[in-house]
Amino acid sequence: MKTILFRALFLGATVSAATAGAQTIGHAAPPVASSESGTSVASARAATPNDSSRSYDAQALRVESRWGSIDIIRGVNGPVVGTVGWFRKFDVEKLVESSPQATTAAHEFKSNNFRGSLIGGLGATTLVAGAILTSNSSSNAASPMLMVVGAGAMLWGGQLLNKGYSALSRSMWWYNRDLARNTIAPSSAGNPSTPRDRAVPAEPKPPVTR
Amino acid sequence: MERFILSACVAVHIALCGVSVLTAQEAPTYDDNALRLDGRLGDVRIVRGAEGTVVGKISSFRGIDVAKLVSSSEKATIEAKKFEHDYGPGTWLASLGIATLGVWIGVTRIGDVNHSITTGLLFVGAGSLVYGAGRMQSAYNALSRSIWWYNRDLK
Repeated sequence: MKTILFRALFLGATVSAATAGAQTIGHAAPPVASSESGTSVASARAATPNDSSRSYDAQALRVESRWGSIDIIRGVNGPVVGTVGWFRKFDVEKLVESSPQATTAAHEFKSNNFRGSLIGGLGATTLVAGAILTSNSSSNAASPMLMVVGAGAMLWGGQLLNKGYSALSRSMWWYNRDLARNTIAPSSAGNPSTPRDRAVPAEPKPPVTR
Repeated sequence: MERFILSACVAVHIALCGVSVLTAQEAPTYDDNALRLDGRLGDVRIVRGAEGTVVGKISSFRGIDVAKLVSSSEKATIEAKKFEHDYGPGTWLASLGIATLGVWIGVTRIGDVNHSITTGLLFVGAGSLVYGAGRMQSAYNALSRSIWWYNRDLK
């Protein structure tokens, strides 16, 4: 009876070890970008989900609005790495250049933000001019038209700004998504570098198995 | 009897390991589950995954239960509750401010109205609008943080 129990335990331990190995393979992080040096491959194998979380905590971007402008913040309590808004010229594309999809979305943001700022600004000016003319009891029929045109331009500008901010949100999403795939090296976990400092893969990355 | 015990041990063990493998495979991935905000004129949508499936809309006077949506992450839930705490009052106060400013414009067009009334309407309207906008801004910042934490805990 004791022999049988021992055999059962031994068999159980063997199956358990085999299963654990299979799970480790399933959770292995994808190869990191730069395979030019052998160290990156070794570090990729040593990666754990904790590396991914640490990287996200330190590097992932988010946005917070502040009276007409939007701060881009890095990490949990990280610094403000840039401010975007009406006529602000912060280069979001450069910030997220390590992720191709994020860069595309950042370009869309830049385009819409500029056009939205311009059209919205012109609309606001026209609306105010129309309001001043109307309040001065001007009998000119053009003054109400100025207000209508100004309001319309403001709405159009607002729509463009809205599209721009959606693109910015998408850009952050893609950038944060690619952080886990790009950042693996344990040596850099304690002193994380910005993603742009890391090598970026030229080819599409393989899907991650979690 | 001995073989039965051996078979039972192996069967139970394999069954348990099978469950753990299945759980590992079903873990949520960032690509499929991470949330982000998508602004439209008049409302803000919370979309999920790379495909951008809409999981909820937040419009002027109605929202979704964000805390429930991000309930898998503790810190995300705390921020979602902050959002819900600020969003409703912020919307109502900003709307009240806009309405009051509308009344102020109307009253100023009427000739014989006490100057203190028009001044009071202007201050109340502008104050409500600014305070409401500030609450809404706090709400959206909390929503942004909530989504950030939720996505972080997916990884």
